Amino acid sequence: MSLVDRIDPVPPSRIYRWDLDKTYLQTDFDSLRQLVRTALQKATEKKAVPGAAALIRELKARGDSRLCIVSGSPTQMRAVLSEKLKLDGVEFDELVLKDNVSNLLRGRFKALRGQVGYKLPVLLESRARAPAASTEVLFGDDAEADAFIYSLYADMVARRVNEPVVHRVLEASEVYPDDITRIMRQWEKIPQADAVQRIFINLDRLTPPAFFSKYGPRVVPIFNYFQAALVLMADKHLTATQVAKISVEMIQTAGYNLLTLSNSFQDLMRRGLPMAEVAHALTEALSGPQALFNSVRPVPDILAAFTKRIAALGATPAPPEARDVDYLSLIDDARPRDKKAKKR
Amino acid sequence: MTIAFDVMGSDHGPEEIIRGAAQLTLDTPHIHALFVGDRSLIDHALRSIRHNAERVVVHHAAQFVAMHEKPAAALDEKRDASVLVAAQLVAAGEAEALVSAGNTGAGVLACARTFKLIPGVKRAALATVYPTQSPHGEKDDPFSLILDVGATVDASADDLVAFAIMGAAYSRIISRNLNPSVALLSNGTEAQKGPPRVVEANARLQHVTGLRFIGNVEGVDIPKGTADVVVCDGFVGNVCLKMLEGVHETVMALAKYAYKEKLLWRAGLAMLSGGFERIKEVTDWEQYGGAPILGFDRIFIKAHGKSKSRAIMNAGKVAAKAVANDLARSIQEGLKAS
Repeated sequence: MSLVDRIDPVPPSRIYRWDLDKTYLQTDFDSLRQLVRTALQKATEKKAVPGAAALIRELKARGDSRLCIVSGSPTQMRAVLSEKLKLDGVEFDELVLKDNVSNLLRGRFKALRGQVGYKLPVLLESRARAPAASTEVLFGDDAEADAFIYSLYADMVARRVNEPVVHRVLEASEVYPDDITRIMRQWEKIPQADAVQRIFINLDRLTPPAFFSKYGPRVVPIFNYFQAALVLMADKHLTATQVAKISVEMIQTAGYNLLTLSNSFQDLMRRGLPMAEVAHALTEALSGPQALFNSVRPVPDILAAFTKRIAALGATPAPPEARDVDYLSLIDDARPRDKKAKKR
Repeated sequence: MTIAFDVMGSDHGPEEIIRGAAQLTLDTPHIHALFVGDRSLIDHALRSIRHNAERVVVHHAAQFVAMHEKPAAALDEKRDASVLVAAQLVAAGEAEALVSAGNTGAGVLACARTFKLIPGVKRAALATVYPTQSPHGEKDDPFSLILDVGATVDASADDLVAFAIMGAAYSRIISRNLNPSVALLSNGTEAQKGPPRVVEANARLQHVTGLRFIGNVEGVDIPKGTADVVVCDGFVGNVCLKMLEGVHETVMALAKYAYKEKLLWRAGLAMLSGGFERIKEVTDWEQYGGAPILGFDRIFIKAHGKSKSRAIMNAGKVAAKAVANDLARSIQEGLKAS
């Protein structure tokens, strides 16, 4: 960031909100042993999901964006998480962690596992501080309730859900009454805006994509961050060169190859995402004097691999239709994972 | 390694094929699945089946050969039939092997029109496994391999020798049976018994180095498991296979009859049910996944038309194992030694 930017920062026009565990970081805490190990890990031992750091760096490169992180990790991990992000070259603007000690001392045991009562007010508070015209892209995962919470947040900001529905949803999600009051107050303060453009759900558990179709096309389940980069390129958040940089990092550091990347590209096409223009722009960028991909593999091979994947599909499918989300019918998605498992 | 799956034409529809192959993409990081068939059906199924999209690719093929269709005429008419397109993709190097649960004849013919025969092989053979009394190989496999069961109806002595070498190579790789016993199916165990081509093949097989040829066996030796690999022509093999299937069905029908007829018989069958279940587990054909077509330079595993996802997954694993161990090269080396 330049000195001028630091003295007189440009108001952010784009906000990228990230979860940490299983979205940015590869974390296993399904058992108590894994939970303890995660808590004791040093920053250098923590691993980011392939491509996540590169994607954030490229998104931040424009200079008019904010990176806001909301994580369910305890506040005691702030130092180690900040260090990890620093090691990855990720500069964040907000890092909100969960104060579980306070929850424990106040006997709020439901809040220890609950996600809605924690994340929703934090998101709304952050939105209240943001410029009204700013747009948002949110990143979560399929392990907890991110698709539900993010979609509810997006529809609350856009006023696509009304107060009684939100109230019933929060009650059904077992949010404490004082948190419900806090959420409602914050919501009132926020100007109406259709701010949330995309919600990416990292498929850490490889949940079938159809599971998220009930949230509409705004929610895009992704198998890796190359897919997120492609969609963000279609949405004009990234350029072809930036997407190339992200994929090169994934190839060089995480074992991705032409096959896995071109398969990921085809997967998005099959789901009706607008990839035709992206493919064209990528082709043009690669055909030009761009030596980035040449360091990994000859450009003709890359073009051939992606062209084959497009040709193999025949006609382009219709994009998924937008729909209103019926949050009350999806309330099970908002419950903590162990309760969901019991119900299923 | 990419395995092409012809998802069309099986008894249970594309979803079972996709489910089985999708499971492979989760369990075996080195295997990618290439789905060939109606793209809208594949997309619809994939949306709700757990899979790893990084290891999945789809190739649209608008047509398919149904079970009741005559293979040659159907493939002539349907140039975009899924099995033919899948075979072409394998031949072009887009995948290393093909798995299909569709029309067997169309599968064999698609391979014959697309793949090359291994040098030294004049005709391909369709092999199948059959449950036997004695275990086989390192894994105590309860199955023996029989070939040919229908691809080459009038096999010559040359063909029978090639089949023996191909079957032994397959058994070595898939059943981990390092030195499989190979026998010719005939109407007597003596070397002179049988039609001239069988007698000639017997004489020649006795001199093939690296092959444990144990001579002729009779039909009764197939279920006994006397040999790990039983060689015959496609006509005899197919008759044997159908007869064995018929015996199995008759035994089941008799058991059902007995169950209904007398309370005492019913009680007896109930007491034996645990044993029956164990036999069913041990001889479960789904663990094998499918039958290989041997003799081509590419791998083709023909899964049973009634295959469910588990059988398809195992067919994919067998195909991957055959590719990883270079079955075609192993057969070629065996043929050179003969």
